[in-house]
Amino acid sequence: MSTKEETPVADGDKPQTSSWKDSIYNPRTGEFIGRTAKSWALILLFYLVFYGFLAGMFTLTMWVMLQTLDDNIPTYRDRVASPGLVIRPRSLDIVFNRTDTKQYGQYVQHLENFLQQYNDTVQERNELCMVGEYYEQDDQEEKKVCQFKRSLLRQCSGLSDTTFGYTEGKPCVLVKMNRIIGLKPRGDPYINCTAKRESPLQMQYFPSEGRFDKMYFPYYGKNLHSTYVQPLVAVKLLLTKEDYNNELTVECKIEGSDLRNSDDRDKFLGRVTFRVKVVE
Amino acid sequence: MGDKDGKSSPSKKNKKGKDMDELKKEVPITEHKMSIEECCRKFNTDIVQGLTNAKAAEFLIRDGPNCLTPPPTTPEWIKFCRQLFGGFSILLWTGAILCFLAYAIQAATEDEPAGDNLYLGIVLSVVVVVTGCFSYFQEAKSSKIMESFKNMVPQQALVIREGEKMTINAEEVVAGDLVEVKGGDRIPADLRVVSAHGCKVDNSSLTGESEPQSRSPDCTHDNPLETRNVAFFSTNCVEGTARGIVVCTGDRTVMGRIATLTSGLESGKTPIAKEIEHFIHLITGVAVFLGITFFILAVCLGYTWLEAVIFLIGIIVANVPEGLLATVTVCLTLTAKRMAKKNCLVKNLEAVETLGSTSTICSDKTGTLTQNRMTVAHMWFDNQIHEADTTEDQSGASFDKTSASWAALARVAALCNRAVFKAGQDQLPILKRDTAGDASESALLKCIELSCGSVKQIREKNKKVAEIPFNSTNKYQLSVHETEDPNDNRYLLVMKGAPERILDRCTTIIIQGKEQPMDEEMKESFQNAYMELGGLGERVLGFCHLLMPEDQYPKGFAFDCDDVNFTTESLCFVGLMSMIDPPRAAVPDAVGKCRSAGIKVIMVTGDHPITAKAIAKGVGIISEGNETVEDIASRLNIPVSQVNPRDAKACVIHGTDLKELSQDQMDDILRNHTEIVFARTSPQQKLIIVEGCQRLGAIVAVTGDGVNDSPALKKADIGVAMGISGSDVSKQAADMILLDDNFASIVTGVEEGRLIFDNLKKSIAYTLTSNIPEITPFLLFIIVNIPLPLGTITILCIDLGTDMVPAISLAYEAAESDIMKRQPRNPTRDKLVNERLISIAYGQIGMIQALGGFFSYFVILAENGFLPSILVGIRLNWDDRACNDLEDSYGQQWTYEQRKIVEFTCHTAFFVSIVVVQWADVIVCKTRRNSVFQQGMKNKILIFGLFEETALAAFLSYTPGMDVALRMFPLKPSWWFCAVPYSVLIFVYDEIRKLLIRRNPGGKWLSLSLCITFRPESCHEICICNFTHKSLIDTKTRKLSNASLFSSPTLSSYRLGGKGDILLSDGYRLYSYPYIFHLFLPPFIPSLARHVFRCPTP
Repeated sequence: MSTKEETPVADGDKPQTSSWKDSIYNPRTGEFIGRTAKSWALILLFYLVFYGFLAGMFTLTMWVMLQTLDDNIPTYRDRVASPGLVIRPRSLDIVFNRTDTKQYGQYVQHLENFLQQYNDTVQERNELCMVGEYYEQDDQEEKKVCQFKRSLLRQCSGLSDTTFGYTEGKPCVLVKMNRIIGLKPRGDPYINCTAKRESPLQMQYFPSEGRFDKMYFPYYGKNLHSTYVQPLVAVKLLLTKEDYNNELTVECKIEGSDLRNSDDRDKFLGRVTFRVKVVE
Repeated sequence: MGDKDGKSSPSKKNKKGKDMDELKKEVPITEHKMSIEECCRKFNTDIVQGLTNAKAAEFLIRDGPNCLTPPPTTPEWIKFCRQLFGGFSILLWTGAILCFLAYAIQAATEDEPAGDNLYLGIVLSVVVVVTGCFSYFQEAKSSKIMESFKNMVPQQALVIREGEKMTINAEEVVAGDLVEVKGGDRIPADLRVVSAHGCKVDNSSLTGESEPQSRSPDCTHDNPLETRNVAFFSTNCVEGTARGIVVCTGDRTVMGRIATLTSGLESGKTPIAKEIEHFIHLITGVAVFLGITFFILAVCLGYTWLEAVIFLIGIIVANVPEGLLATVTVCLTLTAKRMAKKNCLVKNLEAVETLGSTSTICSDKTGTLTQNRMTVAHMWFDNQIHEADTTEDQSGASFDKTSASWAALARVAALCNRAVFKAGQDQLPILKRDTAGDASESALLKCIELSCGSVKQIREKNKKVAEIPFNSTNKYQLSVHETEDPNDNRYLLVMKGAPERILDRCTTIIIQGKEQPMDEEMKESFQNAYMELGGLGERVLGFCHLLMPEDQYPKGFAFDCDDVNFTTESLCFVGLMSMIDPPRAAVPDAVGKCRSAGIKVIMVTGDHPITAKAIAKGVGIISEGNETVEDIASRLNIPVSQVNPRDAKACVIHGTDLKELSQDQMDDILRNHTEIVFARTSPQQKLIIVEGCQRLGAIVAVTGDGVNDSPALKKADIGVAMGISGSDVSKQAADMILLDDNFASIVTGVEEGRLIFDNLKKSIAYTLTSNIPEITPFLLFIIVNIPLPLGTITILCIDLGTDMVPAISLAYEAAESDIMKRQPRNPTRDKLVNERLISIAYGQIGMIQALGGFFSYFVILAENGFLPSILVGIRLNWDDRACNDLEDSYGQQWTYEQRKIVEFTCHTAFFVSIVVVQWADVIVCKTRRNSVFQQGMKNKILIFGLFEETALAAFLSYTPGMDVALRMFPLKPSWWFCAVPYSVLIFVYDEIRKLLIRRNPGGKWLSLSLCITFRPESCHEICICNFTHKSLIDTKTRKLSNASLFSSPTLSSYRLGGKGDILLSDGYRLYSYPYIFHLFLPPFIPSLARHVFRCPTP
């Protein structure tokens, strides 16, 4: 700021010597992009302090918010009212040549890895619970887990047939239901799979009828229920020679309960669709 | 001109540039110097017979019709495209194209491309097209009003061809035609007068002279504009008859040249257009900088090139303020409407702001500053000058009418007068009535009618017996009347004319009704009065009478006027009357306001210097006490050459002097004189004056009504034409039209223009701020791989939805301080959007807003099970459609759709948070210096805007179906409050910032070089006098230097008077006022003043 009388003088001697270079660095005034080093430093300092303060304020509000949260149960669970279904191996397109070990090896490996936590040796440490009843332990300090032995999956357990039926062209697919805290499905939930074609496809379910037993519900959350394992249903697709080289779409739904399985938008809510193609 | 003068032929080759220079030169008519015979020869015409029909037809084909080529009208679609692709729109179009580009890349590389970019591109295009249509229709509407102004009455002309008089359409008149005009006609083309009988023409639209000029066949001046024997196209013949040869038609006429010059001039960009351009540069700079930075960052983070390019485009587009174009357009439209209500019709939306930036007004005199009618201003009788009332509404002071001398003077003025009122106007006020006759006679008629009653009756009582009309050799007019008294058989001779001629014929003079011999003393006092009135720029007439002795002129005496058989000597002098075209009532006040607003008012007129100077003094363009070089010279009694021109603040420059000035000299005059009057200027010179001012960096407004003003109107940054008296050409050339022809309306325009500039700044600051909370989510999404906190749709909901009404409401904000008391903005320094505004909007307020938004985002995710700790890096799985068992912090597993709903809820919450923080922002943006508590919340539209944006946000969140339509989900009530602490922080932070600004304006306190005397005898008056550089800085004087004190409503009524320089500080700038301020303070101020103001002993 200068008085009115001074400005024309200042403007007057500028045009002769200034150039565009001066707008980046002016050696006479020591200005860098229109400001002196001191001015830049002050601006920098201001923003440092300002942003420091903002960071502090943000941290404070976040801390206050985190204090209001429960360690074990999220504040709101209405967005996960009903569980989704997923399959293992983790692929919605199961395509393999049953004679080529390399091709299905990845699926087998995946299933094997996934089932490690269901190994009988691991599961024997868990409780044997009452079949057909919810295993409620709201009052207990330490939540126990009901055992789900891998051997329950029989032909699909990978114990007897280590390739889960992939070599014989009758692949096993594991269906699991997403964990949701406090979920207690009413009725008798079971998995029913159908192939989308005229003639029905033969399938085997393990455990029998593809049931999810009520004793695995409710789930108490990662914190309290750290060793919890979800119940699984294995579906063995009994493909025949005619089915080879054809892509087969299979839809598995959870039925027999109040769990939603026909949402318009969410194609994985209580159901899962996958494609299988076995090449010979 | 073609074959008429060889000079112009080379210019045809050199295209337009040369043509323009040619047009800027003076008029090339030479016919006035030729004899009539030469003229006839040149045009193959005959002085009696006129042209033959065949010749006329031939010339018509050669020269084309006798009409002005209308300025090339831009086709409608080009106008539309200009709206569609001009200024701001370019930014949005670029954004839209980038969006489509990004979508194309995505579509080519991905199976299921996200539609976001496509939608955004479409929305951007729609926004541009809609706002483009809006401004187009706005402009089309005002040009329609233009059309209604056009009076398209077909004109007729009386020509003589093959010896026969015939009335033809004026368009068919050709060069060489013999044309006859009579009083009341419009001159159909440029005429070389060959014979005239008492012909007078009104050249005011061409030269600005308000008095009609007589025409005769003799060449009286080299300059065709001043000579008597040329009558110009489209001027009016007031009285008498004349016959002339057409020398130019259509565009080749003087009028046509001006019109062509006007339409050929390019007017520069409006200041607001320049500001918007600067703004676009800034925004683009920020956008590209951010884009490139994050492009590099994205590549470093391991994204593919293609992804990085899409991010780059996304960031650039996110910086485009989608709603701003619409906001600016609506704000300008609102102001344009408000101005139209106050009689300023704006033709071009952008011109709304131009008046506010104006630093120089070049005003025409006739019709703009003056009333454009001659009025009796002064009278001299009884050896005394009396002032007549010249105001439009007769509110002025009257003079003593009881003197017998006045009765005699009024009788002479009434009788020796040929003007009459036109019939059928009895119900109109006298001043509004139309008269038939000469302007000065009409002025006398109205004056007498006003003060003495019906002139008609006076004339009936004093029957006219004989009359000698005015002619230029006698320079008087006389008539002989019977007296009122039926018993008195004497005749009364009354005479009026040039005062010195009248005096020569007088031997006696009437004083207080008594005849006294005319002695030397009387003659001297007559001379003094005559000089004084002449010096006021007034046209002075002398009056005398004589009661003729009955013995010499008995009743029934046959007065012979051609061979005068009666005495016209030894008369009795009655008095003088002087006339002027008086200034409009509101003008002095308006000029004063312009002055205090730092706007230089320059008078540019075609009239005589003396008259111009008198009017300039009358309206304050030359302020009281300021002298011209000539004034100083005559006061000090030294030659003009010895006066230092720097001593004179005012100057009057004659057109002929202007011709000889070099560019530097011109600049020098414009720079060093604050009060300038240009007299006797030609249209071309007006243009030169405007260009001179612009060269000095001024933003120039030009007001004018005549065709002669139109080149200057066009060249000016803002041309202001007169709606009532303005010619069509001037209205075409102007950017703004004063519907009431009142110069005072300009002040309103300036005020509105300045206000809208301030308010646009606020609007833009408000709109830009929300850009940061809109773009940071995307940046964090890229860098730390969190789920996207704010989606494209919600961004559009903010920019085009909730932000709109509050941003527009800021256009209704009242001014913070008296905007008419500060200097016009400096276009190089005071930008609409500068780095400081960007820094505050983006760097400070915007950052707080972003934190508010992120806070609600984290709250929602955490309350649904995703704690902040697991969010970083979760994006890959989160956005993977095949992953339907994503585990949250509590061990629950989510399908893709389930977590997307949470994500969209976050978008909604982020959106609502922005609305919440924008509440504070709009309140903060209301003022730039004042606290909200000082300013108040009187802006009802703004309050409505606050409720509207909240209601809209709630509507978008809670309306069923929005989850499908816009992917917005209902929020839990507690989520509305997440951003409230940040909203409060914004408010508190900015109030503190403003407090510091008020405490520390401009970084440093400026010295206040003034002293104030406190006058105890009139305790409401404080006088600030001249005192150089005595600084009055202490805690108390700060109060004084704060502009808000000076501009507080109680202090706004100050009077200007006297001399001296005062520099006032409003904290930013020192204002120089060449006045003493008499501040009329309310009673409580003096007590304050005693503490604050001390009167230093000089």
